[in-house]
Amino acid sequence: MVQPIYEIRSLKHSYGDKTVLAIEHLTVQPASIVGLIGPNGSGKSTLLRMLGLIERPVEGKILFNGREVEPFSDEARFLITLLPQEPFLMKRSVSKNVSYGLKLRGNGSDLVDRANEALDMVGLAGKDFAKRPWDALSGGEAQRVALAARLALKPRVLLLDEPTASVDAASAQLIKEVSLRARQELGTTLIIASHDWDWLYEVCDEVRHLFKGRLFGTGEENVIFGPWRHAKDKLWEKRLADGQCIHVSEPPSPDAVAVLAPTFIASAAGARPPDSDADLLKGTISRLALEKISAEIVVTVLIGSLPFTLKLPRQKIQLENLYPGQPVVLCYHPKAVTWL
Amino acid sequence: MDFILEGFFQAFHLLVGGNAETYSAIWATVKVSSYSIGCSLLIGIPLGFCLGYFDFSGKKTLRTIVDTLMALPTVFIGLLVYAFLTQRGPLGNFGLLFTLPGIAIGQTILALPIVIGLSATAVESMDQKLRVAIISLGANRRQLFFSSLWEARHGLLAGGIAAYGRVMTEVGISMMVGGNIKWHTRTITTAIALETNKGQFGMGVALGLVLLSIALCVNISVSFLRRRV
Repeated sequence: MVQPIYEIRSLKHSYGDKTVLAIEHLTVQPASIVGLIGPNGSGKSTLLRMLGLIERPVEGKILFNGREVEPFSDEARFLITLLPQEPFLMKRSVSKNVSYGLKLRGNGSDLVDRANEALDMVGLAGKDFAKRPWDALSGGEAQRVALAARLALKPRVLLLDEPTASVDAASAQLIKEVSLRARQELGTTLIIASHDWDWLYEVCDEVRHLFKGRLFGTGEENVIFGPWRHAKDKLWEKRLADGQCIHVSEPPSPDAVAVLAPTFIASAAGARPPDSDADLLKGTISRLALEKISAEIVVTVLIGSLPFTLKLPRQKIQLENLYPGQPVVLCYHPKAVTWL
Repeated sequence: MDFILEGFFQAFHLLVGGNAETYSAIWATVKVSSYSIGCSLLIGIPLGFCLGYFDFSGKKTLRTIVDTLMALPTVFIGLLVYAFLTQRGPLGNFGLLFTLPGIAIGQTILALPIVIGLSATAVESMDQKLRVAIISLGANRRQLFFSSLWEARHGLLAGGIAAYGRVMTEVGISMMVGGNIKWHTRTITTAIALETNKGQFGMGVALGLVLLSIALCVNISVSFLRRRV
């Protein structure tokens, strides 16, 4: 079996009394692409900073190539690089920013050529941009320069924190292509935190869902926030924007967060629950996306303003003739809801 | 009004004519302020960097103390240094009283809190993203320190200039520790004080103009450096 490039054991990190990350175990295989998805504040950036050896966890171990590492570890600091969400350029020219990491490694020769090569990779012509000062770039250009500075290092691991969050569509596309090239040409392992759901499912070998600092599932779970109020029998409910109610079993607290797994989808006309315990929600298909690894179709259904996802085989999509914009019903079992 | 104008003419005459007494005071000032600012920068920048960069218990208290010391009265420093350097004092054996190194010690004490305080402010106001950027590109601790220092260079330079200005223009320490000895420890500021008391406005104005010129030269050089780096 191939040794994982990363292995996390009992990792815990907190700021003051607040625990922001608690991951019991996680492995990442070499040359894989792992996506991290989760709401703001779920711990994605913190996890990337831990993996990038920027911060030391309060508890637990991070193993890189089987060896325990920490910030400034000589075994890893030249092999791992992180592109933060808001890239920071130092007060020097574009070329010097790009070649800065190479200089740290003592690679003193042909710095200009290597910087220009990296700039070309991210679509910035070296001859036009190399001598520009750091403060004469647009946001998208600065992001691409920061990415070029990482690519110039030919890293074993490239950690990307929301790389396309604050750039225009063209820059986002370029950043995506270049990141994938790094894996294809250099065998780089990529770990990407992003809200770009489509992109993650399109390129990642594995997508992990982070919520309140904990890893769970594959990112396709439907996380529903409280408050919940008591409805009938032993059921509790949350009213959605369109007036429909989601029914759940008794929550541990009225503000608890539920994970709901729809089991069935059908076109809205004449749909009935498959059994008496099941409940239905009416919505509209907003997106169909192909999951790369399983070759299944991820269906997103908008109910009120809340998106729900479920994975279906291609045949089922064909059979039910599902398409974006189509009204459908989702079936779920209130008692099968799990709580976070 | 006439005596002031006359003072300016006399100043021109003294400076252009190469008056030995005037140039002795200028030389003493440049020498002693260079010693003191050199020492302050050497000690103060690393300490200021640590104060601004690291979080530790008691940091706020230490910061308050440093900020308070930035307003230390020069005569009080003069008094303290005099007490230490006098024959009866703990450092009396070194024979530093009424010498330029003695004044330099006092001026270093004056400049040090300014360098530390303003360096800490420069480092604190550095973008927090800088640290992440530098480490993520593979820096070790030493490289992180020097790169951060380089990024904070404009703020550090401003701190150095402020300290130099305070050192150049102080009178209390030079007068009390140096003794204002002609040809020996007489600096520009002590000479101005003395000559004005004697009614010799010409020399006072001449030395005042020199002080202004030095300040101007330092600021022009620093502005030039800021544009270059």
